Amino acid sequence: MAKAHVHKDVIVIGAGMAGLTAAMYVGRMNLDVLVLESGIIGGQIANAVSIENYPGFVSVSGADLISTLQKQAENFGAVVDEFDSIVKVTLKNNPKIVETEEKIYEADVVIIASGMNRRKLPLPEERKFSGRGVHYCELCDGHMYQNKIIAVMGGGNAAVDAANFLTKYADKLYLIHRSEFRADEVSQKRLRQNPKVEVMLQTEIKALHGAGRLENIDVLDKNSGTTKNLAVDGIFVNIGVVPNTELFKDELQLSKSGRIIAGEDCRTEIKGVFAAGDVREKEIRQLTTAAADGTTAALLAEKYLSRLKESV
Amino acid sequence: MVTVYSITTCPWCEKTKKYLASKGVEFEVRNIEENEDYAKECYKLSGDTMVPVTTADGKNFVLGFDKAKLDELISA
Repeated sequence: MAKAHVHKDVIVIGAGMAGLTAAMYVGRMNLDVLVLESGIIGGQIANAVSIENYPGFVSVSGADLISTLQKQAENFGAVVDEFDSIVKVTLKNNPKIVETEEKIYEADVVIIASGMNRRKLPLPEERKFSGRGVHYCELCDGHMYQNKIIAVMGGGNAAVDAANFLTKYADKLYLIHRSEFRADEVSQKRLRQNPKVEVMLQTEIKALHGAGRLENIDVLDKNSGTTKNLAVDGIFVNIGVVPNTELFKDELQLSKSGRIIAGEDCRTEIKGVFAAGDVREKEIRQLTTAAADGTTAALLAEKYLSRLKESV
Repeated sequence: MVTVYSITTCPWCEKTKKYLASKGVEFEVRNIEENEDYAKECYKLSGDTMVPVTTADGKNFVLGFDKAKLDELISA
């Protein structure tokens, strides 16, 4: 059956902080806006147990923050579809075409806020042990490690916050990171003070072993050059992110890191196409800057649309 | 009857439950965090330490949120 063609004023790709903020602003301007999300609503912050650096909140979970934002956007008329995945985009002509598994959307404006995905553990055994000791979602799978030994890989805020969260389950937790901490001092301090935790900086996981399930790992100490074997029941990988830009690589200019090149005004090289949040190449990537990008993209999208309608 | 093994805080579990509801599928939620027997059942079924695990017959299952596999499971 042929796919139905549907027109939208604005399509927002991605329902993280940037995308939902953009949708809320666009909705408030009485424009017809659809948000498409193929992953989880909230993106990276959906997994955050406690956010302590978002203005106005002493501490808020990612799930609570994002569900409130989703409600705000929907109250202003935005529609969020988290089940229909995009298969192709054609952005250079007007209207822009966003083809999903079920429909063909024609949009005057596209705001790309597709964010980032977690980087997979770059070891050949990763696939063998994925779900059988190698994990990427602490909130989903942490519970399965009651009274077990866990390793968390990574040294940024997300990794250290994940490690702090997982100590509520684990008897012992190794924090394995190839260089020095990049996480906030507050989170580092909290981790180091926990007696269950052994911080192993300048170390790297080199191999995973186990018959069926993960049982132990080889860890290289980069300073001494020695490798030791650690018995662990599970590892949670938090070694950075990769931009979600595969759909756009033939349409838009990407930076070396794979992010979309756009100015602080979020305008890309194509008129009517904006990039907002972590997917945009920029120096600072925080929740607050994602919200700022979403706002900027939405307000400038409305300006663009007004001019477009005047010119018809 | 479709069963979804899940925990309260898991975003992929929520997405799976919302998807089944959007398709009009009736399902039972078995929270493995609150019930040790459910946790054992879940592990015995999938052999994985991951949720969500969705099953219609207690033998075949879908691990995580996989729309195509969930469609297969609910249409069988």
